[in-house]
Amino acid sequence: MIPEEILASFRDAFGERIVNERTIERKVGTVEPRSVYDVWIEVDRETLHDAVEHLCRHFNPHLSVISGDDLGEKVAFNYHFATGWGERYGEATFTIRTFVPKDDFRVPTITDLLPGAQTSEREKIEFFGLTVDGIPDDRNLFLPEDMTIHPWRKDLEEETSKEVRRTVKWEGRDE
Amino acid sequence: MNNESISLQIRGGATCYSVPIGPVHPALKEPIRFEFNLDGERIVGVDIKPGFAHRGIEYMGMRRNLIKVLYLAERICGICSISHPLALTQAVENAAGIEVPPRAQYIRAIIGELERIHSHLLWAGVGAHELGFDTLLHLTWKVREKSMDLLEQLTGNRVDYAIPIFSGVRRDIPDEKAHLAYEALDYYRGLLDKMIDAYLHDKSVEMRTRNVGVLSYDDAIALCAVGPTARASGVKKDVRQDMPYLAYADMEIKAITPEDFGTEPIGDVYDNIIVRLLEVAQSIEIIEYCLENMPKGELMSIPKIPALLAALKKAEGEGIGRHEAPRGEVFHYVRLEEGIEEPVVWKVKAPTYNNLMAWIPKFMGEEIADIPIIAASIDPCVCCMDRVHLVDRGGEPSVKVKDELVRLSREKTRRICG
Repeated sequence: MIPEEILASFRDAFGERIVNERTIERKVGTVEPRSVYDVWIEVDRETLHDAVEHLCRHFNPHLSVISGDDLGEKVAFNYHFATGWGERYGEATFTIRTFVPKDDFRVPTITDLLPGAQTSEREKIEFFGLTVDGIPDDRNLFLPEDMTIHPWRKDLEEETSKEVRRTVKWEGRDE
Repeated sequence: MNNESISLQIRGGATCYSVPIGPVHPALKEPIRFEFNLDGERIVGVDIKPGFAHRGIEYMGMRRNLIKVLYLAERICGICSISHPLALTQAVENAAGIEVPPRAQYIRAIIGELERIHSHLLWAGVGAHELGFDTLLHLTWKVREKSMDLLEQLTGNRVDYAIPIFSGVRRDIPDEKAHLAYEALDYYRGLLDKMIDAYLHDKSVEMRTRNVGVLSYDDAIALCAVGPTARASGVKKDVRQDMPYLAYADMEIKAITPEDFGTEPIGDVYDNIIVRLLEVAQSIEIIEYCLENMPKGELMSIPKIPALLAALKKAEGEGIGRHEAPRGEVFHYVRLEEGIEEPVVWKVKAPTYNNLMAWIPKFMGEEIADIPIIAASIDPCVCCMDRVHLVDRGGEPSVKVKDELVRLSREKTRRICG
């Protein structure tokens, strides 16, 4: 799929609410190089759900994963989608980034649009301490159920190292 | 499929029994806990608790330099021990704008496909064992040894091959070793018909796997399933085809579905066997193509390690790396900042992470005796998915009600029972 097509559709639907759009073109193949594309856009948190809905309605996306990037005052969450699968060279990655301030640390769930997002959203809840509004299940997935530390938050580093040291000692691996 | 039907929290009605399986259980090869709710023999609910092999790898990776991260990535999983380095190197190369020489791209693809052959054969053996067909397990694992031997001859190791490095590969496949590879390919080509006959034309295998553990086409898409799990449901999704990379960009690669075997995709365990066995044949062709068309030239675009480290330290940007591992899409995201040796962000996504949710519709309505083969059908790689060590402090997990799911699952049970 030509990324321009997706971007045009998003511009029509959201106009000014889409910022910092970037298309990275890469050449692949050693005999006859062809282009593949990574597309990145940024939306604010209020537009996130609508943007994913637009993507789901028109572009049949696959969600690879949601990654998080602690920037200090806020955390950037990257929703890594890929769209256009099913034919050779048909796919482009499409990442929707949204910034979430730590003093109001919540995002709307996208599991109502793409149920498969639940694993990734639950991981963000436990590893970042994020609140995901509307998620049907917010228990810890990979961490123990009573663990309250958030290992990928850089401002909570001290508590994480304390917990890691405690766990290592508890397992008898500290010698 | 709506959101209500696939929550991980489920409980059956008053007559239901709750049966925990795992984290350590003979039916499972790796630590994961299932809590099944059973109405008689039928599964009406399942709660999945992974995380027993969580080792904090991403946390560790964000605290060491990129070369060390590569070693760590190789050790995320013993079976996909080239899939994670392939995805990581591509992510970093995309972020830093480093080129990979053509010969290195071909060598990476050859090792990647050899890994697919041994992984799919390992899975087929496990599948046969779960069905109680141990003769077939022993046959399959015996022939799997050939690919392990070849990997050892080409790379020096049976696992953790240490082949990819940022900007290229660490070891060449010299022409004088190519005959070993051709020999192994001929060996597998001669065996493949026998394997297909033993698995797909066997009455008892068919009876135990046909229409068992079904994942529908729509569910596979809604739950973001990947790899053979999705392709068995007819979803033609394969990173090598959809968004080619490395040497795969030079080849016509097609996502394999049961249609290639001449049957309609159902998404059951039988279809999973079809897809994996046909992919072994596909890998043989890919390796052969790579050996025949391997370009001459250098192995690394930045051959000196200090220069490579300096280039990585200077790099600024973010990159995505994807590879179609034997189990599906492996995805790595990195963000690099100038002057910092460590990746500022490193996110790893293994295929089982996506396929976790696909287990739920697969289990629903099936019998207790089918649990092992359905659990095995997605070819779970729990250590890949968990990535961190986790301590269970013996707290009782709470299981919450999802009447909607129970209703849906009962409907499905009735539908299946006719």
